[in-house]
Amino acid sequence: MTMSAATQNAFAIGLFSTTPPPSSLTAWNGTALERRYSVYRNNIIASLTEALVSRFPAALNIVGPDFFRAMAQAFIRLHPPRSPLLLAYGDDFPDFVAGFEPARELAYLPDVMRLEVARGRAYHAEEAVPLEARTLADVEPHRLRTLIFKPHPSLSVISSPYPVATIWAMNSGGRPLAALDDWLGEDILVVRPRMTVEMSGLPPGGAAFFRHLAAGVNLAGAADAVQHAEARFDLSANLAILLRSGAFTAFSQGTSDENRHDA
Amino acid sequence: MIPSALPRRAGVGFKPEHFADILAEPQTIGFFEVHAENYMGAGGPPHAQLGKLREDYALSIHGVGLSIGSMQPLDRDHLARLKTLCDRYRPESFSEHLAWSSHDGVFLNDLLPLPYTRETLDRVIEHVDQVQATLGRQMLLENPATYLLFAESTIEETDFLAEIARRTGCGLLLDVNNVFVAATNHNLDPRDYIARFPLEAVREIHLGGHSETIDDHGACLLIDSHDTPVKDPVWALYETVIGRLGPVASLVEWDNDLPAWPMLRAEAEAAQHILDRAAQQRAA
Amino acid sequence: MKTTIATLALAGSLASALAAIATPAAAEDAKEKCYGIAMKGQNDCAAGPGTTCAGTSKIDYQQNAFKLVPKGTCVSMKTPTGHGMLEQGPAPA
Repeated sequence: MTMSAATQNAFAIGLFSTTPPPSSLTAWNGTALERRYSVYRNNIIASLTEALVSRFPAALNIVGPDFFRAMAQAFIRLHPPRSPLLLAYGDDFPDFVAGFEPARELAYLPDVMRLEVARGRAYHAEEAVPLEARTLADVEPHRLRTLIFKPHPSLSVISSPYPVATIWAMNSGGRPLAALDDWLGEDILVVRPRMTVEMSGLPPGGAAFFRHLAAGVNLAGAADAVQHAEARFDLSANLAILLRSGAFTAFSQGTSDENRHDA
Repeated sequence: MIPSALPRRAGVGFKPEHFADILAEPQTIGFFEVHAENYMGAGGPPHAQLGKLREDYALSIHGVGLSIGSMQPLDRDHLARLKTLCDRYRPESFSEHLAWSSHDGVFLNDLLPLPYTRETLDRVIEHVDQVQATLGRQMLLENPATYLLFAESTIEETDFLAEIARRTGCGLLLDVNNVFVAATNHNLDPRDYIARFPLEAVREIHLGGHSETIDDHGACLLIDSHDTPVKDPVWALYETVIGRLGPVASLVEWDNDLPAWPMLRAEAEAAQHILDRAAQQRAA
Repeated sequence: MKTTIATLALAGSLASALAAIATPAAAEDAKEKCYGIAMKGQNDCAAGPGTTCAGTSKIDYQQNAFKLVPKGTCVSMKTPTGHGMLEQGPAPA
């Protein structure tokens, strides 16, 4: 390693530790450099903490700023960013929180944060024009079975055993903080059909239905799979959400239909 | 190579918080500057807003994450993203910092200082050449705000920047606030720094606020915090520079504790006033 | 897999879905629609962090999360097992 490379290496390693500043450094007025070097240490941890604060404001409200910042800093030390694109930094923060002992009692917190990640991804996703409902109205009935839908680039489906969308809304200014009498799981479709990130609560079986369709399973195949697993599945209600949400941008005719015999 | 060519007027750093106010009426703003890394998502409101701004105003794209001052190779993926962004928006100028921010694949999200030696000079020149060749345009390199010095440095920062500009053909971005902050932190006279600076290569100026703290020995230590109005001694230094250089594109940066739009606009108007006066004096 | 959905059922479901969405949703505000400006009072994570080329003078005093307890809205939010806190384990149905 050359001298300058070694200097840089020592500077970088010291930033995440509490050891004395590297010996290669100087100042005009003396040899005590702790505060000067700490400006850089503080800039890094403070700016990355701020990055996580801005991505997870609902989680910040839920646990409060002191706890959130301490938790964020534990994450930053273990998982510093690998890219200068901070808009994607913290995608794996919810997984970290799920295993973070001091937050263990807030079992719903990681899923609220996964919803925040999905919203952030949708916000920055590629533009695409959602499917227009009337184009589907024109499809001949016997061709419906094998339709394959193209997911909107911003689409995510979040499933949780907790009422995460409700908790998120209460902590994002969307609705007042109130007692949650129905502590039921929620499935949420996240999509940004135009400029605003939108969320739709999904009825029973909806999450699986949209996941199948997004994975390229044809319409009959997706409906069949869900109907077998979920008796309350309402195809019509889910199709209405499909058309209204903008979750898909196009459809194509699949080439084969293994289930043709009962058509 | 496309030269850096911002209008010789006052501009401001664009923040999405100000977008609605900016759109509400025509603004007498010479140009807007954005941080490249905030526009590297695939789509969404950031691009919709920047596209709209671009229709009406000159644009400067200012990178904060390329790590040009690193002894390690530049991140080619990041360079490719910068090229995509510059090709898309065709900004009047692209600039980056004489600093490093990535090491061993970790992004440190701060502008870190480097020693000034023959070795680091050659490496930075290599990197600037690589950036300009990839982007097909002249870039501007900005002088840093520093809090420490390196024992091994053998070259003055002003000579270091002059040599980079001479050998690569890049322009320089003179951050007057950084000059004031660094000079104070190293007990130097900022006017001496300006006197030694290769002003002929300057294509843009930055102005911003700083805050005060103290070092380990109780001496004043300034932090380049961009969270206040431009301070009086920085305005004075700026007037000196403009007096010598004539009107040059001048940006007011405000990154933390953002003010309401009218206050930021007033800062730009103050800079514009100084530019106008210099233009009149030259014409007289 | 045994097939249960018939073409007729598919077509029928689609027809009622199309009828259900015939009522248009409320129109978005034009600026919000075109540029995604967040509504006032909305605290949205979607935009995420902006980068900075500035330092900060605010010292981020590092605290140990293991010595803190969450003290945000979770304190007042009522869950089936008390205020905000929920024991790990199978979720209530």
